[in-house]
Amino acid sequence: MTSEDSTSEVVVRLDGVRKEYGDTVALDGVTLEITAGEAVAVMGPSGCGKSTLLNMVAGLDRPTAGSITVNGENLGELNETGLALFRRHRIGMIFQFFNLLDDLPALDNVALAAQLTGVRAGQARRRALELLEELGIADRRNVYPAALSGGERQRVAVARALMNRPALLLADEPTGALDSASGEQVMDLLLDLHQIGQTLLIVTHDPHLATRCASRVVEFADGRVAGERSLERSA
Amino acid sequence: MRAVWRAARAAIRRRRLQTGVIGVVLMFTTATIVMALALLEASSAPFDRAFEQQRGAHAVVAFDNGLVSDEQLAATSGLPGVEAAGPFGQVVVETPAGNELAVPGFTGGRATLVGRASPEGSIDEPDLWKGRWATAPGEVVLNVLPPYEGGGMPEREPSPIVIPGGPTLTIVGYASSLSATADGWVSPEQMAALGPTATQMLYRFDDSATAAEVDAGVAAVTAGLPDGSTLAVQSYLSVKEAVVSGTGQFMPFLVTFGLLGLVVAILIVANVISGAVVSGFRHIGVLKAIGFTPRQVVGVYLLMVSLPAVVGAVLGTVIGHLGSRPLLVTAFRGVGLGVVEINPWVDGAAVLGMPLLVMLAALVPALRAHRLPAAQAISAGSTPRAGRGRSAQRWLSGTRLPRSVSLGLGLPLVRPGRTLLTMAAVVLGVMTVTFATGLVTSVAAYAEISERTGSVQVYAHPANPEAAEAMDSEEVRSTLAALPGADNVLTESYVPLSVVGYTQGLDIEFIRGDTTGMGYDEQLVGGRWIEAPGEVVLSSKALDQLGRKVGDRITLELAGGRTEVTVVGRIMGGELETGYADWALLAQITPGHEPKADWITYQVRLEPGTDVGGYVAAAAAAEPGIRPQANSGVGQYTVTVISLSTTLTLVLGTVAALGVFNTVVLTTRERRRDLGMLKSIGMTPRQVVVMMVTSMGALGVVGGIAGLLLGVLLHRQVVPIMGEASQIELPVALLHIWEPPTLALLAVAGVAIAVLGAYLPARSASRLTIAEVLHNE
Repeated sequence: MTSEDSTSEVVVRLDGVRKEYGDTVALDGVTLEITAGEAVAVMGPSGCGKSTLLNMVAGLDRPTAGSITVNGENLGELNETGLALFRRHRIGMIFQFFNLLDDLPALDNVALAAQLTGVRAGQARRRALELLEELGIADRRNVYPAALSGGERQRVAVARALMNRPALLLADEPTGALDSASGEQVMDLLLDLHQIGQTLLIVTHDPHLATRCASRVVEFADGRVAGERSLERSA
Repeated sequence: MRAVWRAARAAIRRRRLQTGVIGVVLMFTTATIVMALALLEASSAPFDRAFEQQRGAHAVVAFDNGLVSDEQLAATSGLPGVEAAGPFGQVVVETPAGNELAVPGFTGGRATLVGRASPEGSIDEPDLWKGRWATAPGEVVLNVLPPYEGGGMPEREPSPIVIPGGPTLTIVGYASSLSATADGWVSPEQMAALGPTATQMLYRFDDSATAAEVDAGVAAVTAGLPDGSTLAVQSYLSVKEAVVSGTGQFMPFLVTFGLLGLVVAILIVANVISGAVVSGFRHIGVLKAIGFTPRQVVGVYLLMVSLPAVVGAVLGTVIGHLGSRPLLVTAFRGVGLGVVEINPWVDGAAVLGMPLLVMLAALVPALRAHRLPAAQAISAGSTPRAGRGRSAQRWLSGTRLPRSVSLGLGLPLVRPGRTLLTMAAVVLGVMTVTFATGLVTSVAAYAEISERTGSVQVYAHPANPEAAEAMDSEEVRSTLAALPGADNVLTESYVPLSVVGYTQGLDIEFIRGDTTGMGYDEQLVGGRWIEAPGEVVLSSKALDQLGRKVGDRITLELAGGRTEVTVVGRIMGGELETGYADWALLAQITPGHEPKADWITYQVRLEPGTDVGGYVAAAAAAEPGIRPQANSGVGQYTVTVISLSTTLTLVLGTVAALGVFNTVVLTTRERRRDLGMLKSIGMTPRQVVVMMVTSMGALGVVGGIAGLLLGVLLHRQVVPIMGEASQIELPVALLHIWEPPTLALLAVAGVAIAVLGAYLPARSASRLTIAEVLHNE
């Protein structure tokens, strides 16, 4: 799949999404569309609602008002189990602090995502190894997270996110906890993924990451879309 | 100090669930400990305690009122080393049986009434457990044990006692006298109207430890009285032997349960408290980082766990105190061992000791945190130590088990210390349930074997000695056998005999009729059942006393006649039976000798499906001279053990489940980030529940099997001790009560304790708001 032949398909649609936490309004009527193959970076200052937006799209939290459709699924119609299955099959997530299981080595952390869907251990491990090879860390497959560098951990997290071939990859400050060299490696990785047609939604306050990896930047302020711009990717 | 207080208060507010769990666990465990200590305390020399509580009589002496005056008897109280109460008028009257009066536990028939103005006095203060004392003519108080807890008295009012040729007495109260001084008490005025035939005196002696001392005391008080004026003497030592051999049977059981309760409760508290402190290591690190001294940090944690612990301990002491009362009534008052008050030291020990235990349990991990550098404390708990069960986890992740199951199985390996404590809670819980179940089954089996409830459905006794003399026992047996539903009827009569060469006598039950299928052979613990008149089976106790064994020959003597018999079997025996023989043996010993007519009992085996009540009514109508009754076989002892087992098992099972619950709550807290991550990659709520429940279920299976084995072992140790305490050799069948389905069910109990304890926290874990968890981390 390439970015050219999938541009017409809308993968994410947010329509008037509002999220309140008590008296605080985190999202205030956000309307946004992301088409297949797009790499969208959501930027803005801390507390502007960009992580909340990501959580809504991932089905980790529910909006107070408005609707969210991802890959044809109206998230508002799904119960908790439905949302879990949605996350399992439709999306992959990358976090700032990796969120790997400390008790499992890299290979099993990656395989876990497939095993939860019922894929047998052997098959899941084979697929996980392929991904680790593609990401250049197959030799670290038996190492536990505590012994991996930040960049290696994030690559393991990316492999895990890609394990079930998601329609949408969500990244929350993916380079936020990395040194610059590791950050560059992760950026390259995201860029590669975008170039092979993976739809990306990246939340970051790093302009360098946004310009490196995104085809479009959405500016957020006070829970609203404050502006949008398309980018000429520097690939 | 203010900073410590504020930090502790904030920690309590932040960890409401954990604080609540500590409070509830402490409440239950303290209640358990109060009950356990109360039982242990009361189980120590229960007869002596109750006897002193009632100011029991060392000797109850009946005098001929025609030969000795009240003044002469009253003068006996002035002797040195003697305390006396009386004289009380005494008469024997004929009363209906308890089941006719709606007074369970009252034997009826020939009953001794004593005239006493009050239950209070210097000697023998009966426990007036219901109603009031008889103060006016026409009133009577019966000597009956309180009904067991939950058994209750019948709804209908008891019928008045109509004395043949005398007054009608209304039952106004029930009392139990450990000294067994009367079957009933009336006012002195009523006694005067009844016409006393004897005078009762109650004595306490300064020296009364042995039978010889009691005999010497009685000799001293009767020395100056006319010859032949002493009609009967009852020593408290014979009463004590009867009571101890009855209630002594469940004292080892009470002690075992008391100790189990203590151990389970202490382990659970240690588990809960140390877990709470360890799970707060990160918080400890943060406190240190912001400037709290190590001592202040320890202070915060001790305060944090002590506050809910103190509240829980106080509530638990109140609940335990209130809960122990019915337990003690069942265990002691219900078998005539008086009112047991909970000693204040029990409450004091619980209310002070439990918070102290909590402090100690918290101090160990808190001191560890005291030594840890702040950075290490912050990372403690979030970074597992290398090598902890990782190879097992890797192996599990490669199996074909659903991933939520294999992840759950791996969880206990990460924290071996907590896993061991949780396992200990499950093991103790299952061991308790197994032991209690085994005990109840053995006690029920003992009751069934000794009462032959499976084989004999109806018993009948002569209504009174006059009726007994007038009837032909063989004719009665034929009549009963001819009634519809009767399968087999036999006659049994108790006859005291002598054994040549021995001073002590032997009580033999002589049986007439076919004993096949009547349940006698189930009482055998060695040898075989009698097959000919020249054979006897004797209880182990009797054989031990005679120094004989199966196969030996002994010579029985009765009314001048004697014959040699062979001991062919050994039976477990009980309080009354010391042996069985064929009815024809009586004629061999002393030709023409017949047993006392009113000591004969008729025993009926009914055909399957026969209505017992209907047969009893038909038998009463066919033979008005007998009192037939259904063989319930469930004695006070059985009921006591069953109700105590049930209560204690429930309490200990709850405490064990709470321990497991606490572990899952803590594990859930510690693994919030992992759970959030797992949910973010698609783990469904059901898979989260499966994972958490599996983690505890695995402990449940291992703990269940270990608890089962320990419970069976404990049962095998305690039941023979119980038999020994009551001087009964128990048939091996009473130890081999375990059937595969029962064992499977008990093993499942372990899993059930673990799963029930895990389910609620697991469900709450499955509902974690992922965004919040991951954001916070």
